[in-house]
Amino acid sequence: MPDPTDRVNTPLLTLITQQSLDEDYQLVAERRAAENGGTPPHPRPARIAAVVVAAFGLLVTVAAVQTSANEGVQSASRQSLIGQIDASKNDVAHLQRRIVRLREHNLALQSQLDAVTSAQQDAATRNERLAGGSGFGPVSGPGVRITVDDSPTGERVVDRDLRPLVNGLWNAGAEAIAINGQRLTSRSAIRNSSAAIQVNSRPLSPPYVVQAIGDPLTLEANLMQTTGGLLFRDIATTLGYPWDMDTVDDLSLPAAPARLLRLSHAVEGTAEQNLHSLNSEKSEQKMEAQQ
Amino acid sequence: MIAALGLLAGIVLGIVFQPDVPLGLEPYLPIAVVAALDAVFGGLRAYLDGIFDDKVFVVSFVSNVVIAAGIVYLGDKLGVGGQLSTGVIVVLGIRIFSNVAAIRRHLFHA
Repeated sequence: MPDPTDRVNTPLLTLITQQSLDEDYQLVAERRAAENGGTPPHPRPARIAAVVVAAFGLLVTVAAVQTSANEGVQSASRQSLIGQIDASKNDVAHLQRRIVRLREHNLALQSQLDAVTSAQQDAATRNERLAGGSGFGPVSGPGVRITVDDSPTGERVVDRDLRPLVNGLWNAGAEAIAINGQRLTSRSAIRNSSAAIQVNSRPLSPPYVVQAIGDPLTLEANLMQTTGGLLFRDIATTLGYPWDMDTVDDLSLPAAPARLLRLSHAVEGTAEQNLHSLNSEKSEQKMEAQQ
Repeated sequence: MIAALGLLAGIVLGIVFQPDVPLGLEPYLPIAVVAALDAVFGGLRAYLDGIFDDKVFVVSFVSNVVIAAGIVYLGDKLGVGGQLSTGVIVVLGIRIFSNVAAIRRHLFHA
């Protein structure tokens, strides 16, 4: 028998290698040798061993059969996995191509958008400029302010007195003019209706404040060199209107009412017919408003 | 001779009947085969050494198979998975190799 401490001290792998044969074979052989008095063991028919070996063969065969049976399933699932991977790769490639296509489309749209945006900005700038010039957009800037009032002796300022002043201002280089907040456009008129002066069909009351945007350094001097300016000064002096003129750094003129932009047309037909169609139009407009 | 006949008979039986292993026992089959292989090589070596014994062979065969399968079962229940069976295979593999080396020395005297 080996020393127990020997067994503890031996490294595990060495122990396994040394005892690779079951010790029992050795022990049984020694015992038998002792019983038989040193004679070698007679060979016995190994029937049980044969049965056990047969069981071993059966075990190995069953394991092999089982593994080969499972192989079909495994390789099938492997094949289906490979198929799935291929399909997914195709999908990915397809999607990537789609990404490229969409990006190019995006770029094209972006440049279109840029073009449209710049065109829109140009148009907006132009619109602003035209609105300022035509009087249908609010403007601000330096200019002059002229205030005229009725004379203390009872003479009232009338349209004929203001028109030379406005014409003079236009001639002197004014860019935009408003009287008492009513902006002057190419469709504006200054005229008297009974006692009051009307501008843009709105009655004004004295004192009349004429605001003109333009170069404040030259506008005032130029005004007194124009025919209209001189005429106005003469009228004001003759009739005794108190008036004064001063330059302002920052004037804000409102836009003219949008109704001036509407064009009126003559309509064919008799008044009765037109009245009928007008009524139906009005009722339609009412319905639209209600909606 | 009779052992070789037994082996043949076992293989033929397995091929003819192709018994289905229950699904629950399937993971224990490979490790049982390796354990049985170890017992068979041990018996062969003992035979060549002249100290073969029926009873020892049968007991070692059965106990090897049962213990190997039991260790794998224990590994499954403990949740360590296949790692316990890896240990079993390493030990049995070393034993099989050294037994086969001894058999080789007997047969070829090398």
